[in-house]
Amino acid sequence: MAEIRIENLNKSFGAVSVIKDVSLTIPDGDFCVFVGPSGCGKSTLLRLIAGLESATSGRIVIDGRDVTALEPYDRHLSMVFQSYALYPHMTVKENIAFALRTAKTPEAAIAEKVAKAARILRLESYLDRKPGALSGGQRQRVAIGRAIVREPKAFLFDEPLSNLDAALRADTRVEIASLHKSLAATMIYVTHDQIEAMTLADRIVVLNEGQIMQVGTPRELYERPANVFVAQFLGSPKMNILPARAAEGMIVLPGSSSRLAAPAGWGGLVAAGLRAEDCTVTGPDNGVLSGIVVVSEYHGAAQQLLVDTDACGRISAFTTADRDLRVGDRVGLDFATEKLHPFDGGGVRLA
Amino acid sequence: MKPRLTLRWIVFAIAAFVMNFPVLATLVTAFKSSGEVSRNPSLWIEAPTLENFATVLTISDRLNVYHYLWNSLAAALIGSVLPMIVAFPMAWAMVRRGYGRAILFPLVVNLRALPLIIFAIPLYMMYATLGLLDTRLGLGLLLAIVNLPLALMLLVNAVAEIPVELEEAAHMDGARLPRLLFKVVLPLCRPALITTFVFGFITAWNEFLFGLMLTTREAVPMTVGASFFFATSGGGVQWGTASAVMVVAALPPLLLGLIMYRRITGSMVAGAVKG
Repeated sequence: MAEIRIENLNKSFGAVSVIKDVSLTIPDGDFCVFVGPSGCGKSTLLRLIAGLESATSGRIVIDGRDVTALEPYDRHLSMVFQSYALYPHMTVKENIAFALRTAKTPEAAIAEKVAKAARILRLESYLDRKPGALSGGQRQRVAIGRAIVREPKAFLFDEPLSNLDAALRADTRVEIASLHKSLAATMIYVTHDQIEAMTLADRIVVLNEGQIMQVGTPRELYERPANVFVAQFLGSPKMNILPARAAEGMIVLPGSSSRLAAPAGWGGLVAAGLRAEDCTVTGPDNGVLSGIVVVSEYHGAAQQLLVDTDACGRISAFTTADRDLRVGDRVGLDFATEKLHPFDGGGVRLA
Repeated sequence: MKPRLTLRWIVFAIAAFVMNFPVLATLVTAFKSSGEVSRNPSLWIEAPTLENFATVLTISDRLNVYHYLWNSLAAALIGSVLPMIVAFPMAWAMVRRGYGRAILFPLVVNLRALPLIIFAIPLYMMYATLGLLDTRLGLGLLLAIVNLPLALMLLVNAVAEIPVELEEAAHMDGARLPRLLFKVVLPLCRPALITTFVFGFITAWNEFLFGLMLTTREAVPMTVGASFFFATSGGGVQWGTASAVMVVAALPPLLLGLIMYRRITGSMVAGAVKG
């Protein structure tokens, strides 16, 4: 098990720069999730760590050793691919044992390790089948089994759940989490799914256009996003951004007569973020803002509204389902100052 | 059976008969005595006989069918296996590393478009210098060159069909190039390798021109040897014997084709990646 350190890493494909000066340290035993929209470079970053792509510049250090110039087979990492990439001509047992045979492990030890992995992943009754005779979820478990038998320095997962259906995805997510706990191994996990990122990660790395936007625990990222991109990427519905200004120690919202005191350090306020769950729906004359309901979605436990406030744009808010608010109803929106996320003109968090 | 379907089968039968007429005529003639051949041109045999086969399979001073069969087998094996050995790593390097993709690959493939006879004279002189004339190895090497383009084409397609993630997974599993090639890529190319072998073997077995040119006595292949039977004891062509020797010569590739037919189709990569 090992710490992974990335120093000023750059990767270009021709003239296109995909990874731009990324530096990151993943501590030993950490579950680190790379998340971001398509094309943000998260898979490329993982492949650079794996050695499947070579870096244009910068260093990758695994367990204190500079591996930047090493081939994948010399880095001692395991990888689970999005497409599973099982060897179709080998049985499940042979697939799982392949890396051990490559490393010339004694047959007795191989049998023992394969049996253990099969037990953990509930694959015992499929060991003599070929991958073609397995379901998607079973293939996924074989791919994980192939990764865990060799006791690598770290595990790399490249969107491993995206080919599974929703129910299986939730189950497998739990399995991966418990696997991390029992192996206490360094894991890097790439996904575009923020629920996977939030539930699995010790540490989330949010990437956009080849750059790290923010690194932190799921709670840190959700509660104190460093910029508008992270604020809007995590959370559903995405965070409302209000065109607020600070003047004479007060927060000024267009179209609102309410006066909210601005905390210290909010002088450069250009935008205020507000999550839907922090926004209370009140009667039309009570809130900080008021507007007309344009979309009303019934979620069972709650009702999600999209309210057009005119001067402050459209704002998402949650309310209890029993209110039964309909499109066209006029409502008020109320919130506390401490729930606002202050951003400056460049989208960077203030205070 | 519906009339339309009956009509369809009648048409099929006529077409099959017309296209296979030469084969049928040869087969029938092989079982006729020399007297009957000159008398009875029909497809019906009045007095079936094995005497033609007996003549062919008997070793005489001049003719030894077993020797020709052995020469053909040896040369055809060299001519079909060697291209596979050469083309497999070449195909991988072309697909995965791009070596020779731009120039070498089109060049080798277009070798098939050239009439081979233009190589005849320089080749004969080279073989004379190297002492390869009238040897099974010499004939086999030439047949290997004839088969190389097809082998390369089939294997390039086979390697290109293998998802690249499989090779990446093998690298992640610690496999270096030799293990990757022999434990992952080679087994996945098996259908293409079998196809290459069957087509290569049949082409090599049936080759006549270079067999005639490069051999005189020791390494005469079956195709050339068969022609020796046409005029056995002077005078005209012995049609019965000629037919029988053709049947004997055609059997090995025919059997190989029948045995291997089921293996030359089908894909190996089912279940490798999703879907």
